[in-house]
Amino acid sequence: MTPVISGSTNHGKGGPVMRFKKPIVAFSTAGLLALAACGGGDGGGDSGNSDQSIDKETLGNTGDGKDAEAQGPVEIEGAQEGGTVTVLTALGLTTPIDPSDLYYTDTNAVMTGLVTRQLTQYVYDEESGQMVLVPDLATDLAQPNEDFTEWTFEIRDGVKWETGDPITPEEVAFGMCRSMDNKTFPNGPGIYFSNPYFLGGEDYKGPYTEKDPNCEKQEAISFDDTSVTVKMSKPFVDFDYYASFPSMGPIPLGDASDPAEYARRPMASGPYKIKSYSVAKSLVLERNDQWDPATDAGRTAYPDGYEFKAGQAPDQMDQILLADSGAGQTTIGMDDVDAKNYREFQNEHSDRLVLGGQPCTFFYALDYRRITDRAIREALLWAIPYEDQVLSSGLIPDVNAIPATGLMPPGVPGREEYNPVPEHEPFATDAEKAKQILADSGNEGYEIKFLFRTDLDTDVAGKDVLVKALEAAGFKATPIPTTVANYSADRGDPKGEANIRSYGWCSDWPSGSTWMPPIFQSTDIDEIGFGTNESAFNEPEVDQKINEVYELPAEEQPAAWQALEEEIMTEYLPVIPRYYGGVAAAHGSKVNGHEIDNTLGMPTFKQIWLSQE
Amino acid sequence: MTANPGELEAVGDAVGQSVSAEVTGRSPTRIAFDRLRKDKVAVGCATIMLVMVVLAALAPVIAGALDIYYDIKDPAAPSPSEVLEFDGYPAIGPPLHPFTWEHPLGLAPKTGVDNLAYLLYGLRTSLIVALAATIFSTVIGLVIGLVAGFSRGWVDTVLSFIIDLFLSFPFLLGMLALAPILISNAGNDLDKLARAQFIALISILVIFGWMGLARLIRGQVLSLREREFIQAAEVIGVPTRRILFKELLPNMVAPIVVAISLALPGFVAAEALLSFLGLGLTGTPSLGKMLADAAPYYKDYALYLWMPVATIATLTLALNLLGDSIRDAFDPKTRR
Repeated sequence: MTPVISGSTNHGKGGPVMRFKKPIVAFSTAGLLALAACGGGDGGGDSGNSDQSIDKETLGNTGDGKDAEAQGPVEIEGAQEGGTVTVLTALGLTTPIDPSDLYYTDTNAVMTGLVTRQLTQYVYDEESGQMVLVPDLATDLAQPNEDFTEWTFEIRDGVKWETGDPITPEEVAFGMCRSMDNKTFPNGPGIYFSNPYFLGGEDYKGPYTEKDPNCEKQEAISFDDTSVTVKMSKPFVDFDYYASFPSMGPIPLGDASDPAEYARRPMASGPYKIKSYSVAKSLVLERNDQWDPATDAGRTAYPDGYEFKAGQAPDQMDQILLADSGAGQTTIGMDDVDAKNYREFQNEHSDRLVLGGQPCTFFYALDYRRITDRAIREALLWAIPYEDQVLSSGLIPDVNAIPATGLMPPGVPGREEYNPVPEHEPFATDAEKAKQILADSGNEGYEIKFLFRTDLDTDVAGKDVLVKALEAAGFKATPIPTTVANYSADRGDPKGEANIRSYGWCSDWPSGSTWMPPIFQSTDIDEIGFGTNESAFNEPEVDQKINEVYELPAEEQPAAWQALEEEIMTEYLPVIPRYYGGVAAAHGSKVNGHEIDNTLGMPTFKQIWLSQE
Repeated sequence: MTANPGELEAVGDAVGQSVSAEVTGRSPTRIAFDRLRKDKVAVGCATIMLVMVVLAALAPVIAGALDIYYDIKDPAAPSPSEVLEFDGYPAIGPPLHPFTWEHPLGLAPKTGVDNLAYLLYGLRTSLIVALAATIFSTVIGLVIGLVAGFSRGWVDTVLSFIIDLFLSFPFLLGMLALAPILISNAGNDLDKLARAQFIALISILVIFGWMGLARLIRGQVLSLREREFIQAAEVIGVPTRRILFKELLPNMVAPIVVAISLALPGFVAAEALLSFLGLGLTGTPSLGKMLADAAPYYKDYALYLWMPVATIATLTLALNLLGDSIRDAFDPKTRR
């Protein structure tokens, strides 16, 4: 379940997609423009003006990709050793890198790809362009019991820390236990997956908060000489996916992993170790000679090192990549290329432009408590100026703003294409139709209130576009000004005035269970606020059905989630999907193996190599 | 005004030559305007300014006649998807397509707003802001300068200290700090926000723009108040207010006019600078904001950048040269 920070009319792409509902306040205006695009000619309708276009059918698809048999070492034919890869980003590397506290796509891609090892991992499959789940520290993809309440991982032998000490099942167990300490690691995914699912996780506060340094008070995780077993309080069908998260990896015991210290320099188990790290500025990685490729089914380590530079000016990044000289030849852009430079990349450097998917949907959540008439919600569906907003926010239709139909993005297992209102095509805006619906239902002049950030140019433009479209459709539009700094808090305030909210969400792993429950399950508004249900959708019948899907056998769940989505969307229309995410990054001419890990929308660091002269 | 003996002689020569032709009484202001009229640079710059003022004043008329819009909110304005290509570049006019009379200066990328319309409205904003800031800062500077110069003792000390305080305060830093504070008081009202930004911008320009004139006036008053005509007025019991405004002020028309004409371009540039930095206007068209929007496009859409640059440059250059000429014209020491 991954919320994305997003604008009221455009989203904060260009950098890391936030995997967590914590705001990043430092979005620079320029950073938000670091977006790319491709797609159609006039009007942007058709894509495919190059052989490179995003496969809209399988965007972010990892659903059928599991390979429990994968074995190391991984070798890439013709790959050369040596060189240092420079990676540039405008907004990345601002979030924690302590594995237990790590829940953002950029740091996830860097750390799991190069520095830390987990129970499972994703590797890029050249043929399908998809990510495949393979074992990492575990010898296979684990053996769950029949009802998915107990998972056992056999831990691989002969894997070492950068210090040369062997990685033990006890350290893996400690890492998992540590993830339950959501007070010490408030940014991490533990609060969403470890505590709710692990047996006793709702009560156990973790090794630091409980003053239980050896994790003796918890009952969920046990280990022996060769394996780790996790008991669940309820069925956790997708635990093998969660096992690929940094928080599901080994952590050294005792003082070696003191949270304050460890956050600055997590110990490496992967092919590279941290040479220097400065938050939001730079991260330098050097080779970890204790890493044995024979034990790793996913990673390669051809370059001698990596140098990540954060806080770059987006346009400057593009110019470095376009110029492709000197160090620029061995450089990777972690963010999207700027829309205005996209054409030049596409026409003249298409071999260095990498397009890919991102399992994210950007939508308007319509406040279910306030907009009570479905007719108004349907009128909004017709009134939203989808394409105008995409253009004015600097995104490009069909590349990093792919017209959305349903809520779940392509690639989620069981997903089928459908339109919530059958005659409404994606990106279609029809003011007349909206007006008609409003008139027929007696809701002319209905007031739509939405937030926008006065200190964000793209947001101001997006606001203007939305106001115009809403008014053309017979609504009364009332933009509510806020600032970048206050935006997230204002949007999450259930008492706030807004009645539509812009929101983004990404799969944590390909399953409808990372979509329907977080978006549509009712929450106690007064007690905990929206949670992740920003439309305040509350139908006991739907809650009931969500729970029913959880009870179904694992293989029936994907179709059931899809059926449930169609039912919710056609009957209630609590959200209006706008577009799915996409990635258009670029790299220097000596960089090979740069593809998009579409589970994260980030470079496939595990397989990068540099051409040597 | 009295002149020193040396100057008297020089003037006497000139008078002696022209006496035979014609003798007419002319006020110093009149003389200055006559000089200005003969100054080609001044006439040229004044013409340019006049054209710009007319263009700015007629912005709505021109935009209406050409059917162009500066604001994407305008119901009649084309929506971005109608006039832009997939990557945000205009689908009509430069840089990718040939010139068209529909949009003589092209469209802005990403929003599809017409550049000519935006430029005209931006010019309007610039001129209004600069004019308002000039008027207010002149009034404030004048009053404080007069009072400080005329009242000896502690009042002068305090006022001079305040002048020095404001002068020594880092101008840009002050603006950076003040702008968001003033704007944040606007709350949730959008119209209020736009108004607040407008007023905030002018206030900031005034707050940091009155000291020069105040000092100048204070200096002038300090020397003038020792002259016989002021002393005579004091002796016969003319009220202070009358001395200040009827006796002193008319004698300082020249420095005031000069200060105003040189302050105007300063304020135009300052408004552009602040808006460029995002501290000025956001809801109102502004040349500085256009500059900021266009800067990233310097390579692919140079025209977009050159338009605000050229406008600001022309405006400030014309105003500066005009100011120079006015100063020369009012300065009796200037000989041409």
